[in-house]
Amino acid sequence: MSVASAPPARIPRFTGWLGAAVSTDHKRMGLTLGVCSLFFFGLGGVFALLMRTQLAQSNMQFVSDNSYNELFSMHGSTMIYLFVTPMAIALAMYLVPLQIGALRLSAPRLALAGLWTWLCGGLVMQQGWFASGGAGRAGWSSIAPLSNGTNTPGVGQDLWVIGVLLAACGTLVMAACVLATIARRRAPGMSLLRMPVFTWTALVSVLMVVASFPMLVLVMILLYIDRHGGHIFVGFAGAIDYQDLFWFFGHPVVYVMFFPYLGAAAEAIAVNSHKRWFGYTAFVGSIMAFAALSMAVWSHHMYVTGGVTNQYFAFTSTALLVPAGIEYFDAIGTLIGGAIVLRASMLFALTFFIQFLVGGLTGIFVASPVLDYHAFGTYFIVAHFHYTLFAGSVFGFFAGVYHWFPKITGALLREWLGKLQLLVMVIGTNLTFFPMFFLGNDGMPRRISRYPTHPGWGTLNELETFGAGIIALGVLLFLINVVVSLRRRVPAGDDPWLGHTLEWATTSPPPPLNFEAPLPPIRSYAPLLDLREEALDRARERREVGPA
Amino acid sequence: MRGGAIPILAWGTILLVLTIGNWVWDDKPVNGAAASAAVVIIYSFGVAVWLLRREAIRRGPPEPGTEIENVPAASLSAMVIGLAVGCALFGLVWAKFLLYFGIALFVASVGRLVLEVRAERASRRRVLEERELR
Ligand SMILES: [Cu+2]
Repeated sequence: MSVASAPPARIPRFTGWLGAAVSTDHKRMGLTLGVCSLFFFGLGGVFALLMRTQLAQSNMQFVSDNSYNELFSMHGSTMIYLFVTPMAIALAMYLVPLQIGALRLSAPRLALAGLWTWLCGGLVMQQGWFASGGAGRAGWSSIAPLSNGTNTPGVGQDLWVIGVLLAACGTLVMAACVLATIARRRAPGMSLLRMPVFTWTALVSVLMVVASFPMLVLVMILLYIDRHGGHIFVGFAGAIDYQDLFWFFGHPVVYVMFFPYLGAAAEAIAVNSHKRWFGYTAFVGSIMAFAALSMAVWSHHMYVTGGVTNQYFAFTSTALLVPAGIEYFDAIGTLIGGAIVLRASMLFALTFFIQFLVGGLTGIFVASPVLDYHAFGTYFIVAHFHYTLFAGSVFGFFAGVYHWFPKITGALLREWLGKLQLLVMVIGTNLTFFPMFFLGNDGMPRRISRYPTHPGWGTLNELETFGAGIIALGVLLFLINVVVSLRRRVPAGDDPWLGHTLEWATTSPPPPLNFEAPLPPIRSYAPLLDLREEALDRARERREVGPA
Repeated sequence: MRGGAIPILAWGTILLVLTIGNWVWDDKPVNGAAASAAVVIIYSFGVAVWLLRREAIRRGPPEPGTEIENVPAASLSAMVIGLAVGCALFGLVWAKFLLYFGIALFVASVGRLVLEVRAERASRRRVLEERELR
């Protein structure tokens, strides 16, 4: 595919900050989205620290009940709509065109409009803090009738609804652009079963966004109308309808927040094992089924409502176990016999798989209606989903950061700081979230701002608050690492890890049109590994190297 | 590009099977409708990819292309469209004048986007003509 080289006459050139803001280069857009998401990660983290301070001891008076409602609602909303989901899309937007050998993203202007719509959504949602009555405070799911105009009056909740609506529209549009890119812009030779593992995980994620986010948009429009005299979600049936519709989006988004980080961890494991990802075809089939199946489990969030067919959703939810098992099998298969290098990216990836296992296994517990009746609405659930989203996805994210930071910036991150960050975060994460299983099993409800003095609860809650502080320290170490590594640059070179996929065949950072040199031949999902193996074979034939 | 519609349509088909399962076992109209809508959206996307390029349904690796295409480097109007949508919806809640301002900004930036795209097409035509002259 050739490229029109002459710049269009009527489009002025932009430089500096404005140049970055209006750039339709997928790398620039991915970076902007990623950096903004990271900012929201910090903000959501501050909300979490404030919540944990309030909960450090029984009957604390650090924040008011109303403020606590705002904090947990905005913590969840910020993390889900403004950090983990958009960060997944940011990784896909930056890396997918590079991995499939494309020069650019499909419909880049649409993606740019989506990026700014999403950012407006984030800012509008946070604007609620300045509204009288406070920010959104009906939880990240804003279940009706709690979220209606009578029970949660005020502009803050309206801003929440509009913020989510905007963020959802923006995310949807960006995901559609990534999907179109994979469908239409693969380099010559890049057949579907030669796409890298990360690209496949990105593909199923954007498929899920395209299938499920329109529902979120619809629900937010309906909720807005409902809050302004529309009376849509009325009575028991209305409450159930809201949940059915919301969770139709709300479960798949959990997997959107999982797959790309799984992909990042998988790439890190394969490269640092100096082996191809094991069981590639089975992996591709399993994540396709995994993603589709996760579109059919949504009402497992509603077992206790008495308004759902529990058996069906218990069946589909438990069936998720099969593809999840294949992922673990493949990860272990890749490690076996590999020449393993324990870099920071590799350690984060391994920790991702280990810690996610805790979230996954407890997911099997709560997929059972009988056990969910016991666990529902308690800290057990909070522990479960933080093990998937934080102990899982965020560790996968850091695996991706340590793996691709050199490609994106041209500079290496400090390995020792990365390993220290990992250690600190592992301690903090498990200290924060593991005691929640005991508290939840013991009946401590989630979303309460104060709890009575109860044997054992004080100690466990203090441990959790302490752990949350340690997590914050870990994040701080990461930020220090980024600043130090960018200030005192250690040049990474084009391919510091002996990568497998096409992004390592270009410069670090890649040029505007991604590849200046011709692409290597694409004969498998690891074309650079193919080249190295072929060179080794040739060397053996010339007897330069001894037998294998 | 070759094969691009296959994973989309394949995934839509798995969704379809699960949706039928949902209709049969769960038989709640809201759920069935939601799942069916998702199937329709995914199939529509897949069919659109297929209609744009018929080879999108054929297996095998993409072949080298020879056509000339534009690569937009920047788009002020696309950014402003995003901001305008945000401004208008924010105005819906916060202050009505922002709603009208946002709508006006949206219309203006769509107009500018049309100019941008036309300018880009013109530059592509120029390159094609130069190539023919050679
Ligand atoms: Cu779920």
